[in-house]
Amino acid sequence: MTNKLDSKDRSEGDREKSRAYQGEFWPGILAYAVVLVGVLVWGELDGDSPWRFLWAVLPVIPALWIVRAVLRHVRRIDDYQRLLLLQALGGGFAVAMIASVTLAFLEIAGLSVPGVGWIIYGAGMLGWIISGAVVGRR
Amino acid sequence: MKNHLRTLREDRGWTQGALADRLGVSRQTVNALETGRYDPALPLAFRIARLFGQPIESIFTPPEEQDVREV
Repeated sequence: MTNKLDSKDRSEGDREKSRAYQGEFWPGILAYAVVLVGVLVWGELDGDSPWRFLWAVLPVIPALWIVRAVLRHVRRIDDYQRLLLLQALGGGFAVAMIASVTLAFLEIAGLSVPGVGWIIYGAGMLGWIISGAVVGRR
Repeated sequence: MKNHLRTLREDRGWTQGALADRLGVSRQTVNALETGRYDPALPLAFRIARLFGQPIESIFTPPEEQDVREV
């Protein structure tokens, strides 16, 4: 009896919120991937056309959809989950900031690091994921 | 803050998920409440009290060192 009551299964409410989030998040990711492929194939970002700048910012549109999905998810979850999310985001932000300051100092010291923006993005995302896993286990 | 949420829940034969649905929170939140890792905000504390038909102070007990002293 006690074992059954100790079940770690998600509640129906959890499943409902998760379904709503997935239903909004994944179309955004799919659209982002499609736009990204379009930009890489037809954008000619390393060309001379002035349109390349427009191509370069095009992925922002589906990215905004993803941001909307995340914000709507944040409004759905409860206070404790919001606290965990905030801690995870804080971890990701700290990692991104440390990475950006470190890379900036390396640049001042004369080391040219290609794709700095991507490194900072990757570090921040990784920091977010790892922090999320750590705070979720507590 | 200590509480006897787990006992109250088990007395009614509810899983953490079932209690979570009744309170409108996640199962993870119920688990954090029961293990004392999370103290609920007042609206949730009132929902818990109403659900179990008990006053908040009979469900949640603050640690003695955190008791409010008279000024």
